[in-house]
Amino acid sequence: MAPADPTPADPTPARRSLAAWLEARFNLTEMLAFLASFGVFPAELDTTRPFREALHDAWRRPLPSYARWPRVLGLLSFLLFLFLVTTGALLAFYYQPTESEAYRAGTAIVRDVTFGWFIHQMHRWSARLLLVILAVRLWRFFFQGTYKAPREAVWMAAVVTFLAATQADLTGRLLTWTTTGYWTTVRALEVIHALPVVGPTLMFLAGGTTPDSLFLTRFYVLHIAMLPGALLLLFYLHFNGVRRVGLSHAETEGRARGETARVQMINMIILAALVFGGLVTLVTLAPTPFEPAADPALTPQGMRPPWYLLAPHAIIEMTPSMLPRWAGGLVVETILLLILVLPFLDTSAGRSLRDRRIAVAAGIVVLAFWLVLTWHGYALEVRR
Amino acid sequence: MTGGALLAAAALALAAAAAPTAAADPPAGGAPRVLCGVCHPDVRVEFEQGVHAGEGFDCTSCHGGNAAAATIEAAHRAPFRGTPKRRDIPALCAGCHADLAKMTPYNIPADQYALYLTSQHGRRLAKGDESVAVCTDCHGVHDIRREDDPKSSVFARNVPTTCGRCHGAPPPGSPDGAPPVEGSPFADYQVGVHGQAFLAQANGAAPTCASCHGSHGAAPPGIGDVDKVCGHCHATARAYYREGPHARALREGTGPECAHCHGNHRIAPADIALLDTACAACHEPGSEMVKVAGGMKALIAGARDEIGRARAAVDRAAAIPLYVEDYQARLEEAHTSLVQASPVVHALDVRQVEPLTERARGIAKEVESEINGKMGERWWRRVGLLLFWFYLGLTLAVLFLIRRRALEGDPR
Repeated sequence: MAPADPTPADPTPARRSLAAWLEARFNLTEMLAFLASFGVFPAELDTTRPFREALHDAWRRPLPSYARWPRVLGLLSFLLFLFLVTTGALLAFYYQPTESEAYRAGTAIVRDVTFGWFIHQMHRWSARLLLVILAVRLWRFFFQGTYKAPREAVWMAAVVTFLAATQADLTGRLLTWTTTGYWTTVRALEVIHALPVVGPTLMFLAGGTTPDSLFLTRFYVLHIAMLPGALLLLFYLHFNGVRRVGLSHAETEGRARGETARVQMINMIILAALVFGGLVTLVTLAPTPFEPAADPALTPQGMRPPWYLLAPHAIIEMTPSMLPRWAGGLVVETILLLILVLPFLDTSAGRSLRDRRIAVAAGIVVLAFWLVLTWHGYALEVRR
Repeated sequence: MTGGALLAAAALALAAAAAPTAAADPPAGGAPRVLCGVCHPDVRVEFEQGVHAGEGFDCTSCHGGNAAAATIEAAHRAPFRGTPKRRDIPALCAGCHADLAKMTPYNIPADQYALYLTSQHGRRLAKGDESVAVCTDCHGVHDIRREDDPKSSVFARNVPTTCGRCHGAPPPGSPDGAPPVEGSPFADYQVGVHGQAFLAQANGAAPTCASCHGSHGAAPPGIGDVDKVCGHCHATARAYYREGPHARALREGTGPECAHCHGNHRIAPADIALLDTACAACHEPGSEMVKVAGGMKALIAGARDEIGRARAAVDRAAAIPLYVEDYQARLEEAHTSLVQASPVVHALDVRQVEPLTERARGIAKEVESEINGKMGERWWRRVGLLLFWFYLGLTLAVLFLIRRRALEGDPR
């Protein structure tokens, strides 16, 4: 480390860059540090130091344990969330959340607005991928024992993030006011309504059990303001928690490659580019066809709840007829609650698979049941 | 006899208990006492559901006798008719229903008896055939209901079943719900387009038996009259038929009418397949007439297929979605031309059919080619994707290069 440290020489009056101008007026270091709380910037920053110095320093620091491959699912989900916010804002420029205008506005976006179809399809595919990635991430956390102390909060944040994302997806499905969008929502509401206490409360807040014009407006507000806000908060909590407690297992992995935050930043840009490329490919080659407008008076055949509600749907439908419908809903709610408080239930000693045989066995059984029930929930509607 | 009288007296006492005011003081000049229901209670219940009950009629209006009499003998004393004979029923009903003064206040025509006498039913009854329908066979006996009462056997929806009770009824002794006799008018009507539309699709505008045959004057349309009957609804087809060679032949002697090609009760759907089967029934294969039929069939089929292709293209485009409302409207126009061509076929003149089918085909072809042009946009999207990946690949290559240098330049 012999060469003279150039840092002190940097803020000379001769180099009056824009960054320096801004630096004099805003605390740029703190802004960047805030971004780090969403996993976007991979390094720790010393917020007391000037921006350039802090950045320069951070670039060279070895990578913190939580920001390394293969733990990209969290970052990936946040990237998709950013895509969703961007494309969603663009869609909102044209969308009108009323029963009479929603479908017409949707058609105008995908047909008449230049590249409207592209933005719309990007939004759809990002949403699908986000849900899948959040679900996969939960299972990864589970099988790697990431929920154990001191990461209980990280696990709970991840579970709630998944639930919030499903709600964002559900509210978004209704907005198109297409046949499938409308009737999928109706079927989903049937499932949600069967959940004791929670279901009726949510329905009360949404203002009824039948999607009508006001219902659409409320779903719109939930979809564009409240749920994204909640997700943002949850992402923040998650990354903040991870930064505090570090990723599990990281300490056991050698740091063979001396990767710095700078390299990691490049890795992230590469990942973002690949995700973007993948999305554009899906959007171009596998666009979802646009459908006819919903007719609330005409139920088409074979409409089923969205995939994440198929298992609850199957459980509720399988409830014996002598029991009330909410009995099935209670089962679903109990399972959800058990998943949420899993860190406090599993008191086994270690994090490895061998250390928590019971929990892993239970997890495998739940996963198997979930898959079978999802299939059953799907088949239920095929038979009808 | 005393036993009978005793029984009647006992029944009377019961009736008196049930309706004390009516029995205790006979009305003086008001509504006459009707005691028939004492012995015939179920008939009375039926009668009171019918239309005649509220209009000042009682049993004696048709059966004679004395309704106020307290004994069977007195009640059934002359002029007592008993059950009217079948051959007497039309004249009995006509006693009121042919009386214009009586019918006008109800806005009911008074010519039904006259019509009945001209019908097959009436003519055969006059010859002594009592197996034919008389008034009561269609309208019911005691509980005769208004024509617009859905429970009435002559309510429009019930007409085919009512006629079918004789014209296709399963032979006596058949189990309940047995299908009508194969080949009978009712069985044929059920499978024909009219019956399918009326019975299966509940299309109230489709014809029932009475629409073609009439009701009181029911008779099969005579030779030369069939096109008039069908023409009530199929006016355009009739007009072209009358222009064509078949109608000319009929005017000069014998020629085919509507039913020759389409059938009468078992009416086949109006499809171009008829141009193969119906024409070949009379004309030699390879004859000029069969060639005309083939020509018309080819024109219609060509236009229909072209519209089908264009419609499929529009559906594909709508799912992308592209703007297709204009194309849909133009296809409707094409379809209208095609629909117009079907009655024109009855003139049996290719030159009249051709302009319509050509118009339909032309519009559909235009729509299809314009849609295909627009669908090219999908191809451009793929080209765009290739270009996109080319630049993304370049970007990635640069990024990997920067990454390697960052790794190498790492002061660790």
